[in-house]
Amino acid sequence: MMQEQVNIGELMLHHTADGYYIEPFGLFKIEWHRLPDLHLGPLTLNLTPTKHVVFMAIAAALVFLTMWAAGRSLEKQRAGEKPPRGWANAIEAIVLWVRNEIAIDNIGHEAGAKFAPYITALFFFILYCNLLGLLPGGATATGNLAVTAALAALALLTIEISGLVKLGPKGYLRTIFPTMPGMSGAGAVVMSIAMAPIEILGKLVKPFALCFRLFGNMTAGHFVILALLGLIFMFGHLEHWNWAIGIGSATLVLGVMALEIIVAFVQAYVFAIITAVLIGMMQHAH
Amino acid sequence: MLAVLLLQQGEHGAGGPGGPFALEPGLIIWTWVIFGVLLFLLWKFALPPIVRLTEERERKIKAELEEAEKRNAEAQALLEEHRKLLAGAREEAHALLNEAKLVAQKEREDLLAKARREQEEMLERARREIHAERERAIAELRKEAVELSLAAASRLIEAKLDDQTNRRLVEEFLASLEKRR
Repeated sequence: MMQEQVNIGELMLHHTADGYYIEPFGLFKIEWHRLPDLHLGPLTLNLTPTKHVVFMAIAAALVFLTMWAAGRSLEKQRAGEKPPRGWANAIEAIVLWVRNEIAIDNIGHEAGAKFAPYITALFFFILYCNLLGLLPGGATATGNLAVTAALAALALLTIEISGLVKLGPKGYLRTIFPTMPGMSGAGAVVMSIAMAPIEILGKLVKPFALCFRLFGNMTAGHFVILALLGLIFMFGHLEHWNWAIGIGSATLVLGVMALEIIVAFVQAYVFAIITAVLIGMMQHAH
Repeated sequence: MLAVLLLQQGEHGAGGPGGPFALEPGLIIWTWVIFGVLLFLLWKFALPPIVRLTEERERKIKAELEEAEKRNAEAQALLEEHRKLLAGAREEAHALLNEAKLVAQKEREDLLAKARREQEEMLERARREIHAERERAIAELRKEAVELSLAAASRLIEAKLDDQTNRRLVEEFLASLEKRR
């Protein structure tokens, strides 16, 4: 039995790592080769689609299909003046909830409606990525730091550019060199300049937190599930007790899986609402 | 822990595109591309039919609110005008009433004065008439007395009586006068 010992740490990292293959539902494996690197001056890029790219594309396609089908169904219902019913109405309710409760409530009435598509896309894209990772053979793209960093960088750009557009260059500079209440003259200028690094750091820390929160939550869930499943491999060789280990481990995994579904929703919500709040803060900065 | 993980991942990442902690630039670009395409497609095609009804309702409610606001302002203006008109009318009525009262007062005084004047005139006339009547009566009486005296005198002359008889005659005459009365 000992020769079948599995290195669980290795397994965890392998499971959450990216790769040039997919295993749909764990039934079979499709592999492809890494394309040659691209050299753009000092940068080395490799744009070979990876497992996470494939799953992001699947998630995006599913989000679009869901919305598109819901929209069509709603149009048909309205054309027939029928009362709203069915899953399309549920999708409509969620989309309107994201639009009204997350975007408009946190950003403001005028700008909120404008940013609503971005917030909605963010929420559903992250949610679908999270949920796809829970399927057998699925991969959690949001459990990859590059993906969450890309989304957070996009959020940072959105926040800062929307602030620049809304506040104007002068108003925007005020968010970096803040006005010091109760101070005037040279003292205020010195304090303002002294505060600038802190303000800039503050601007960067918020998306950084977004990036790591999503990544950490998604990765940690998978680590916990794999660790609990790993109990079977570690203690399964114990005679007379192996069935109890199996049942215990499976029960715990089931519980964590259920929790992961909640976490998938909560993290999508958290990412969307914090982005909305940060956009709103820039919209109303003085 | 993290160091160990990173170390292991480093070993592992030699063949593949990197573990969960690797910031693979290719993956970052892919994320942007996929999310960007999704955002564009949702914004252009998928979200409008879902959100349209709500947006229309919001627009309608906003328009209705504005309309109501306008109507309210109009009604307010009308009410103000109405109130002003009413106040004007009341003032006018008041003035009219006052005028009427004044006219009536004047009329009454005029009438009273006229009545008094007429009464005065009538009284004066009556007085004058009485006076005239009396004058006439006196004149008549005087004439009568003269005639009577003349009659008496003629009788006296006719009788050619003495003093005594004269006296008695006059007395008788007077007595007869008395009786005749």
